[in-house]
Amino acid sequence: MKIRSSKAKWIAVCFVLPALIIYTVFQIIPLIGAFYFSLSDWNGLAGSPITFVGLDNFKRIFEDAGFILSLKNMAKMVILSVLFHTPIALLMAVAIQGKTKGAKFFKAVYFVPTVFPLTAVGLLWYFIFMPNGSLNTILTNIGLEKLAVPWLVENATAMNTIIFVNIWAGVGYYMVILLAGLTTISTDVYEAAAIDGATPVKRFFYITVPLLKPIIKMCILMDIIGSVKVFDLVFVMTEGGPNGLTNLPTTLMYQEAFKYDHYGVGSAIGIIILLICLAGTILSEVVTSKKEES
Amino acid sequence: MKKNKITPLSVLKYLFLILMAAMFIMPLLFTLLSSVKDNREIFSNPFGLPEVFRFDNYVTAWQDANMSQYFLNSILISLATIVLLALFCSMAAFIISRFEFKASKWVMVFFLIGMMVPMHTILVPVAYIIGMFNLKNNLVVLVLLYVAFNIPFSVMVLANFMKGISKSLEEAAIIDGASYFRIYWNVALPLTVPAISTISIFNFLGAWNNVLFPLLFINDQKLKPISLGLLNFNGERGSQYGPLMAAIAITVFIPLVIYLLFQEKVEGGLAAGAVKE
Repeated sequence: MKIRSSKAKWIAVCFVLPALIIYTVFQIIPLIGAFYFSLSDWNGLAGSPITFVGLDNFKRIFEDAGFILSLKNMAKMVILSVLFHTPIALLMAVAIQGKTKGAKFFKAVYFVPTVFPLTAVGLLWYFIFMPNGSLNTILTNIGLEKLAVPWLVENATAMNTIIFVNIWAGVGYYMVILLAGLTTISTDVYEAAAIDGATPVKRFFYITVPLLKPIIKMCILMDIIGSVKVFDLVFVMTEGGPNGLTNLPTTLMYQEAFKYDHYGVGSAIGIIILLICLAGTILSEVVTSKKEES
Repeated sequence: MKKNKITPLSVLKYLFLILMAAMFIMPLLFTLLSSVKDNREIFSNPFGLPEVFRFDNYVTAWQDANMSQYFLNSILISLATIVLLALFCSMAAFIISRFEFKASKWVMVFFLIGMMVPMHTILVPVAYIIGMFNLKNNLVVLVLLYVAFNIPFSVMVLANFMKGISKSLEEAAIIDGASYFRIYWNVALPLTVPAISTISIFNFLGAWNNVLFPLLFINDQKLKPISLGLLNFNGERGSQYGPLMAAIAITVFIPLVIYLLFQEKVEGGLAAGAVKE
């Protein structure tokens, strides 16, 4: 439909305006503000002056061992999540698909944690992993007390434990997306391959995986961006401890800004998180547009 | 294909499925069992059935630990969020998708910018605005933050859906002299209900599950939503494990019910949203 009269134009504007105003005030203006704050120093008190300090905040961050550690933790979180999420999700999806008995049950069980608040998920696992938690009780009961360690307190295990919970809580999400992808592969292809004598394992590697490649790639990129943004799990399970060893840029940003009142530094970390996500998104655009070309 | 023959591979498949299911059920079962036990039993016998079912843990969590208040707050916040989003986003999507004018493409691009903005990036400026206008402990602002963050996804889904609806009905309505508002309300909106219900489920879960915004902007006990209230409970009575587990069960109850009721919708919307991105 074409908009002809100027009155109609005003009506059109009025329809878009509520969403546009809320979105601009609470997302776009703060986004611009974030760049400004990242170049400034502010102590967080309303009315106190904001001083421009240039790139000092960024300099300070990259000289801070705590931030470098949080970046390393983030890299570990991203790499391990990617290594486990999509492959396990793919195996789940392939196993569920078809004439599997109890498919609906299995799908629901794997997916259900993804709809839960991560605070509840984190707390739930916290009670399992805490020093006198149920995991260590079980290990002791079956005579493996040597393996019982304070999972979330020990330096060697704390970060890996959080990453494990992140994998657990997210795998169902990727499974559902891959399942939707699997339904687009025609059964003819599999039947033809079966007649040609291809074993199920061969069919998986030579048909399923190649045909799902675009969706697998997309899952991986979504996983990268998602893992960069993890906050709740760390906040609930360790608060970044012991001694900041499990901090991610997100939790460090929270502490710098809202615990130590270094709002400029916090904002600078926020900008770095944005840039990392942006790089991930651009990467995914490049990959998906390639998919459409081929 | 062969029919239900037991092959080593199918045995392996079910073994994998059952093992994985155990990985997911055990922690949930542990929480559920612990929610009706006392501390001693939780530690001595984490996976056994309780000697007595202590349902009073739920009463403790619901009443003494204020979970009822948090629960109600979250219902209120989440409902307000989805109503505003459904209304404002369908209005915007109606114009963007149904009318031809130069700006519509740019409006859409403008809305899509927000999809890439992580919450952490804008926390400091939002805190500044909230401090400046004294908006701490203001549930309206909290709802508007949720609305703002879910506008990009909602407008995108609704606009894509509305593009697919036949325009003949509207054109007939225009010829009949119906106003734009009537066309939106009586023609476009009823046809968009499937997409609106999809975004509403996601937006509800998003508002229910978020903890970051209330963590920073709500510190009044009476106004806290459930995700934050749960942490509060843990901070105050971290050693009352039974009631705490009951509180976890209460917190995940609504998302669980939503998923069970709208399983197809949740999964379908997820896949569609992901593939579209």
